[in-house]
Amino acid sequence: MYYKIGVDVGGTNTDAVLVSHTNEILAKTKQTTTLDVSSGIRNAINVVISEVDVPKEDIKYIMLGTTHCTNALVERKELNSIGAIRIGLPASVSIPTMADFPDDLKILLGEHNYMVHGGYEFDGRLISSLNEEEVKKYLFAMKGEVESLAITGIFSKTLPDQELQVADWAKEILGSDVRTSCSHQLGGLGLLERENAAILNAALQKVASKMVDAFKNTVHELGLSSQLFIGQNDGTLMSLEQVQDYPVLTISSGPTNSIRGAGALSKVENGIVIDVGGTTSDGGVLVNFFPRESTQAAQIGGVLTNFRMPDVVAVGIGGGTIVRFANNQCILGPDSVGYQLKEKALAFGGDTPTLSDFFIANDELKIEGAEEPSTLRKAMEKNTGYTFQEALTVVKNEIQLAIEKLVDKLKTDSKEIPVIACGGGAFLLPKEINGASSVIFPEHLEVANAFGACIAQIGCEEEMVINTLQNDENSALEQLLERVKKELLKNGALEDSINILAKESIPLAYLPGAVKLKVKVCGDLIR
Amino acid sequence: MRKIGTKDIEYIAMGSTVLGTGGGGDPYIGKLLVKQAINTYGEASLVNAEDLEDDALIVPIAAFGAPMILVEKLFSGNEFMKAFEMMEEYLGKKIDAVMPAEAGGLNGVIPFAVAAEKNIPIVDADGMGRAFPRLEMVTFTLHNIPVSPIAQADEKGNRNIYHTIDNVWGETLVGATTIQMGGSCAIGCYPMSGKQVKKAAVHGIVTYAQKLGEAILDSKDKNLSPLTSLIKEASAIKLFTGKISKVTIKTEGRWNKGICEIMGLDENQGNFMDLDFQNEFLMAKKDGRPMAITPDLIVLIDAENAQPITAESVQYGTRVVVLGMKADVQWRTPEGIALGGPQKFGYKEKFIPIEELNKN
Repeated sequence: MYYKIGVDVGGTNTDAVLVSHTNEILAKTKQTTTLDVSSGIRNAINVVISEVDVPKEDIKYIMLGTTHCTNALVERKELNSIGAIRIGLPASVSIPTMADFPDDLKILLGEHNYMVHGGYEFDGRLISSLNEEEVKKYLFAMKGEVESLAITGIFSKTLPDQELQVADWAKEILGSDVRTSCSHQLGGLGLLERENAAILNAALQKVASKMVDAFKNTVHELGLSSQLFIGQNDGTLMSLEQVQDYPVLTISSGPTNSIRGAGALSKVENGIVIDVGGTTSDGGVLVNFFPRESTQAAQIGGVLTNFRMPDVVAVGIGGGTIVRFANNQCILGPDSVGYQLKEKALAFGGDTPTLSDFFIANDELKIEGAEEPSTLRKAMEKNTGYTFQEALTVVKNEIQLAIEKLVDKLKTDSKEIPVIACGGGAFLLPKEINGASSVIFPEHLEVANAFGACIAQIGCEEEMVINTLQNDENSALEQLLERVKKELLKNGALEDSINILAKESIPLAYLPGAVKLKVKVCGDLIR
Repeated sequence: MRKIGTKDIEYIAMGSTVLGTGGGGDPYIGKLLVKQAINTYGEASLVNAEDLEDDALIVPIAAFGAPMILVEKLFSGNEFMKAFEMMEEYLGKKIDAVMPAEAGGLNGVIPFAVAAEKNIPIVDADGMGRAFPRLEMVTFTLHNIPVSPIAQADEKGNRNIYHTIDNVWGETLVGATTIQMGGSCAIGCYPMSGKQVKKAAVHGIVTYAQKLGEAILDSKDKNLSPLTSLIKEASAIKLFTGKISKVTIKTEGRWNKGICEIMGLDENQGNFMDLDFQNEFLMAKKDGRPMAITPDLIVLIDAENAQPITAESVQYGTRVVVLGMKADVQWRTPEGIALGGPQKFGYKEKFIPIEELNKN
């Protein structure tokens, strides 16, 4: 018998759940996210361990989901000075490294960007071989001036050895304190977007180390000796060491945890998950218990990247969404009072009608400290100029339309599929949605994200291009699968739990014989 | 003659995506490449075809290759110079101006990099007025202008000069060697005189692309609807409003083939539209009846931001507007229809101009 704790740090709330080894929720809490993040985590863990009588030594694992890295990028806080080496001369010179970065970010990251000879063709032939002298000359130029290094090679997704060689030389010259980010570990095909991902990753490594230390200390101070993991954005876990190597992969882990958590709570494998927060409703698609990945390049902190991210579509419908009536029209948001609900909303003596007010007034939602429904209804009639029933009908109709549009956007075909509600604002969601076979409100839905963090598995994925005129497609695909499985076992997965999530080969337009291979596997870390 | 700076390139790239009619390669890479060239070498000069000297030497410059390769193995930039210089060397004559072969997609912007670096003008004209998937599918072919000599160069420094017996062979041979070069290269082709450009090219297409780009990108600031502005600027016919309800894509030989089904909304409630594509959108049918046929332009627009959607990125659920635009008059002659019309792509339907198909 052992226990796990899942923690999810969001912008507003830090949630925690304590679960048994069979993933039964024994305690849960929602605490306010604190400025220093750590004390919010401490408070949340403290609440769940004091609620149940469980020996501390039996809490074997703690999983953390956090927006720390996203915030650091968006707010440009604590980013490292980085070096970047692109391997591919004579190709690729026409577009410099960080060509399309916002200027402020470019300045923050520094000027140590170099291009060296190397890189591969799509079919594995060399564009050029690496020139040790050339690479080392640049490494010496960066010595002492960069805190981490991004390395990106042309077609490194097919053949990563040049990136790895440069990383070795970097260790030798820059010392092992300077972490390296190899692009083949981070992004898909598309050199610029993958290079951008490697650069953002490099820039986040100091932030990640600090976050890891803080997490370790917090857990230690609570007298726990649990093994610690951090969730990444594909719904799988990373060790604390891996997080320091690949921090960018934690970006968007929040929606991923909600999607997986909601799926597990409702025991639905395939469907749409809508996580309703204070400001937005974030919809994602659950495919075999994992979030569907976005196929579009994503902007992070103003930078175009192509690393895998959950496909999430947001609409401005949340508990704090401001409701306005004007010209016989009702407009919801898109702005929200956010975390100031208890100061600004009508139900708490404020002057702003929010969606929560309507549900409190209609007796569908109870929040401590709110006005009595009947009093609130009167305040709302005065504020909106409509009878409460009229206003409520219009508001609910607007929600219905917005959510149906969201569901429709997320679906890949016209078949009806279940919709699973989660998040603190789930009460807003209609009980019936056009296009959905059912709307499920699972127990513990308000902490789906923290639950999602603690049920995460470990995973591994790879993609590459091969020339089928030279290689047999099927055996290449099998080899790639074996390689990925080996990597997964190395990361600690249980062999008999390995599950193949994707195994695809996609022919490329204009290139007869060229095929893109992609595999993805996952497995249980622990039982 | 007017100067083209980096801001103009933003608009032209957006307009090129419209003229790409779903294909032509994403101009994003081309845009970054050209902006870099302009920042390094200065602005490029755009010249009207009518203002060319009759005996001037004009050479279209283009990127050639697979879209997926172009985004992974980025251009060195030098291959375009090499192709350019090899053409000059071979012809024993200085090139007076470059021009786009294909204003739709990536190649709508690429020649600006050469114009900036070589400090020679770029002609406000192209050979398609849109995008097409093959080298011979240009209005130049209709005027019996040979594609050869073709100068081809890759980023490694490999170079070829081709003499082909006709323009179709140009596509065949350059296509074959491009794969060996690693899937992408630069070409100079269809060398012609100013007189020939005046007669054979689609005039004013760069300025047109820029206006389309401005309609999409600037209307919001002027409190106008980007879609309405685009329709007005393009003299487009709004063929359909709806939501993508099904997408079928398969790669067949060198082509991405597929059908994008759209379920009607608003004024098209209850109707369906099928968009056929082979890299580019080629046929739009409403409830089984053709509404636009290649070589007329079929443009798929995202209803939310009025930006064009490429055939590779069509997705279920996207709210879209389908626009039809008249092809250049040269494409509407019997020869033009034979080269860029429905039969060329294996359709049984005969070409009927969009304005006739949509006559009420």
